[in-house]
Amino acid sequence: MNEHQPSPPAQLAAHRTADLMRQVILAATPAALISTWYFGYGVVLNLLVAICFAYALEASALYVRRRPIKHHLADNSVLVTAMLFALSVPPGIPWWMIALGTGFAVLLAKQVFGGLGQNPFNPAMAGYLFLLLAFPLEMTAWHVSETVIDPASGHSVLGLTSFREQLELLFPGLIFSSFDIDGLVMATPLIESKLASQSALMSAWSEGRSLLARGSGTGWEWINVAYLLGGIYLIVKRIITWHIPLSILSTVLGWSLFFYSPEQSAIVGTPYLHLFGSATMIGAFFIATDPVSAPTSNPARVVYGIIIGSCIYGVRVWGSYLDAIAIAVIFGNFLAPLLDHVLRPRIFGQISHSRAAPASLGQASIENTVHE
Amino acid sequence: MLSQAVRWLTERRLASFSGGIRPPRQTRRTLRSRVMATPIPQRLFLSLTTYSKQERLTPVVRLGEAVRKYQCLATHLQDSDLILHAPTSGMITAISRDTLEIQSDGLDQALTLRGSTTEKITQAAILESIGRAGIVGQGGAGYPTIKKIRLAASAGAKVLIVNAAECEPFVCCDEALIREFADQVVKGAEYLMQASAADAGIIAIESDKLEAIAAIQEPLKASSLTLRLLAAKYPAGDERILIKSLTGQEIPDSVHPAERGILVQNAGTAKAVFDAVKLGQPSISRIVTVAGAPLKTPKNFSALLGTPVSDLLSWCGFEHESHSEKSSAHFQHTDHSKIIVGGPLTGRRAEMFRESVQQTTTCVIATDKINFPASGPEHACIRCGFCADACPVGLLPQQLLLYSRNFDEHNLNSHGLHSCIECGACAYVCPSKIPLVQHYRQSKAILRDSAAERSESQLRQARYRHWQTRQGKAARRQVKQAAEPERETPFSRENAKSEIAEAVARVKEKKSGNRQ
Repeated sequence: MNEHQPSPPAQLAAHRTADLMRQVILAATPAALISTWYFGYGVVLNLLVAICFAYALEASALYVRRRPIKHHLADNSVLVTAMLFALSVPPGIPWWMIALGTGFAVLLAKQVFGGLGQNPFNPAMAGYLFLLLAFPLEMTAWHVSETVIDPASGHSVLGLTSFREQLELLFPGLIFSSFDIDGLVMATPLIESKLASQSALMSAWSEGRSLLARGSGTGWEWINVAYLLGGIYLIVKRIITWHIPLSILSTVLGWSLFFYSPEQSAIVGTPYLHLFGSATMIGAFFIATDPVSAPTSNPARVVYGIIIGSCIYGVRVWGSYLDAIAIAVIFGNFLAPLLDHVLRPRIFGQISHSRAAPASLGQASIENTVHE
Repeated sequence: MLSQAVRWLTERRLASFSGGIRPPRQTRRTLRSRVMATPIPQRLFLSLTTYSKQERLTPVVRLGEAVRKYQCLATHLQDSDLILHAPTSGMITAISRDTLEIQSDGLDQALTLRGSTTEKITQAAILESIGRAGIVGQGGAGYPTIKKIRLAASAGAKVLIVNAAECEPFVCCDEALIREFADQVVKGAEYLMQASAADAGIIAIESDKLEAIAAIQEPLKASSLTLRLLAAKYPAGDERILIKSLTGQEIPDSVHPAERGILVQNAGTAKAVFDAVKLGQPSISRIVTVAGAPLKTPKNFSALLGTPVSDLLSWCGFEHESHSEKSSAHFQHTDHSKIIVGGPLTGRRAEMFRESVQQTTTCVIATDKINFPASGPEHACIRCGFCADACPVGLLPQQLLLYSRNFDEHNLNSHGLHSCIECGACAYVCPSKIPLVQHYRQSKAILRDSAAERSESQLRQARYRHWQTRQGKAARRQVKQAAEPERETPFSRENAKSEIAEAVARVKEKKSGNRQ
């Protein structure tokens, strides 16, 4: 503000918003790598496409809004949005879908509301939800190359063939006009369990195959473990607090234990599947903790987590949609301002957060003097 | 992680509060040297300002007059508690609205002091000594000590708290004071207890000041004061936060702690009280921390009031020349941002050549680029909530920022802006480098103004209503008189008598009615 008389404090902590965002990206990187390991180059390609579009769209929006472009791009927030969005969408969807989702996230969910800090909803999830509503089929199909499922074919998921395959999927008809795609579309284990078929994970488990091997057709649990570790890193680094993740995870665990019965596990899932079989960990540690759209006081954060956790379980088990995280988080975002308003911490020296304004004291004394 | 766990476990036993921050302490280099008395500076600049912004001291000496050490220089015409003494002998060379300049003669000719020789000192004598010495609180606000004692004593003083919790980075004047003058601080605290007739006395030191804690053990054995250790975090030394940590009592911002019988005095004030009572010496010096990376030998000085800050810095090996060259080379006057008077979190950036030591000056810091980087452009608030976690009074700084920007008066009040102690913990942790304290100060000022305006306008409205009723009454009386024109009945004794009787009856009726 006034440059000539800077206000106290003169000394400031070293961390900056851009650093926080960088830490979030760093914490999500192992999970992104493991995703690539299991699902192939599609994950990386998605990331690249999303980041390019996000930066381009953010810059043009800032240009239109006549804001300093370099200054705002430097806070890295658009990078986090693009990354979380790209990690949420399945690999193998065409590029224009990613562009559409990123555009929705950056332009409609963020810039329209006034840019960083002003958006009421999590941009990445808003973009994802838009795609989910528009293209439900594509958005729930996690494409896994045939080669992954059948190690005997000699191709690797990280080989050249599968790279070309992924490119073909991303840019249909653009690069390789006629490429025979031997692929298999599989859903997340939880979705599979919902569709009442035994999941690849469960079969891999029951057949005693190594869960680490790519050929097992699993991967979600390792991705979830990576997100869990990344989230713990963020908590240790004090970038996020434990309140939201812990309350989400314990709520999901609590509901899934409450409704669990071995006969019905194909329908309601097992607690294990609920925590590690889908996007629960990225949701709890990376998406619901987005500070802009979450409440800020700790009691409000706990309630927010409980609401999101219940919503995740409810949508998964009784809802018609297959993916619950985005719906739950957006639902929580709706309630965040209310939670912030109602669950305020007690102000020092006050019995409860009273709504009495101190101005009323002044009024009373004036009236006394007048009546005397 | 392990060290954090150990700290967490040990702090369960320390007096603490929720929130707060832990900036690096950075006092080790300064504490390497002992407290040093300064040479007598050539010129001294004494401030005539007081704890209240409007009031100024009135000089009782004339320009060009020769003064001696301890001589009274200025006082307040209505308020005899405010008084200023000469720190050394010399000549008055300038008097302005705010400052009084003394050219010292270097002889340090002093008036003879009358200290107390007896061991037993009465409460009245202590109060008189403190009042005469012109001691004000050395922690920051500069409120006259004698006023605070009276306030606490009239509320039935329950406890005296000696505040040795200087929680800001770099500042270590209280730590050095207790390390080297522990017995005097304890003795001064006992005088304060006696003066306020407090039931108990506590000396509060932060747990990381090991030398001070060790030094005070011995003098404490012979006294009725107890030592309490505080968690080493900022702002543990804030008056209300300190009371909350030690007693669990939260004193709202509308009440002065002394009104609840809790007398908080700075450790430096206790030492000044000792000097005043035992030696009869007025308050003419204090211990000042002079620190910062650009200094060759940062240290604590026992500095005379009025000592120019530039002298203090040069005694610590601060290079003025290279500085001024640089600033002239840059074609910009940048000196003002190089110095901080007060701690780095609550102090203000100041111009070096305009500042001198006052009773409230705890610390002078020469800044460097590593500890005090240019704050840079401010980013958007991402509502990370770091500020809410750091706030020691349980406010939601990010919400207050929003309401300050929109100037939402209702929400500013209901979110407790008036409870903000301006400690700056929120702005310290803010990753977007938003000058939160500045926003709050502006909003507070506007709120104060609008409250004053509102009360004034209400007063005017009320007066206008009264005027209207009076006018109405007068008009009705006139109409009544006009409607009943000169129904003059000839004066008769009977009529008059009956009227009087009627009036008496009316009054009686009224009275009996009132009684019921």
